[in-house]
Amino acid sequence: MNRNLLTIIACSTLLGACAWHGGINVDRSELDEAREHVAAARAAGAETCAPKEMAKAQASLLYAGHELTEGIHPDENAMLIDSAIKHADQAVAICKKKPETIALTGVQFETNSDELTAASVAILDGAVATLKKRAHIRVEVSAHTDSRGQAAYNQALSDKRAASVRAYLIGHGIAANRLSAKGYGESRPIADNGTAAGRAKNRRVELTVLR
Amino acid sequence: MRYPMILCGMFALCLMSFASPSAAGIFGKSIEQRAAAVHEQTEGLHNYHAYLARELASIAEDENAQHDRADCEFMKLAEEAAARAGGK
Repeated sequence: MNRNLLTIIACSTLLGACAWHGGINVDRSELDEAREHVAAARAAGAETCAPKEMAKAQASLLYAGHELTEGIHPDENAMLIDSAIKHADQAVAICKKKPETIALTGVQFETNSDELTAASVAILDGAVATLKKRAHIRVEVSAHTDSRGQAAYNQALSDKRAASVRAYLIGHGIAANRLSAKGYGESRPIADNGTAAGRAKNRRVELTVLR
Repeated sequence: MRYPMILCGMFALCLMSFASPSAAGIFGKSIEQRAAAVHEQTEGLHNYHAYLARELASIAEDENAQHDRADCEFMKLAEEAAARAGGK
């Protein structure tokens, strides 16, 4: 009787243990190559410049880490490893490409203000039309100043100007989740700040297409 | 008399071990409900953690039919990523 009972307990314990034969272990040697590619993509800043591809790479790596631990589907394991490598490489390639920029030439603000001039409205209406036409893209509204004045003041002013343009675009029918806003202050000049013409070029607003 | 009862108890234990805890519902939210919550939480977000949360939630749903706890592991990771993604 006791022997039978012990047998039942042993079998039950064994079956219970078998029920969880997975886990996620990405440190396995079979994943060395995939892990290296994913790490290289992360080092290239892919979490920021190619977030979608980077997430797919990381998720495939984790999934492979589980499937290999489970040890049942060799074809699926190989596919997941390939997927991690492919997406990591694509992420790196995306990060190396220069982002597309839509210059909003002529968009201006009142002096020391985030208030758009009347003349800027027509240009922004053009941007609204572009964004409606290219409905799949997301953009960052980037505002820049010249180097006159304090850097901290210019940073704050550019932050407000970027937010102002974003608010205009949202107010004219562009979905908020397609738009982010960032001020760069005087940190990214494209012309000589020593001349009036150069400073005028540096005071600008752009739309940077995000991936 | 006691022996059959112990036997039944052991059998029930076996069944519970094999049952997907997420599918039962009686132990809390199902994987589908948790995946829906992750998707809702990250809706409209396009950052790395939001994408990762959605990917991992999908994997958890795919794994849901398996009789192991991988679905819960992936869902836990998805929820952690969703929390880091910001949003709702």
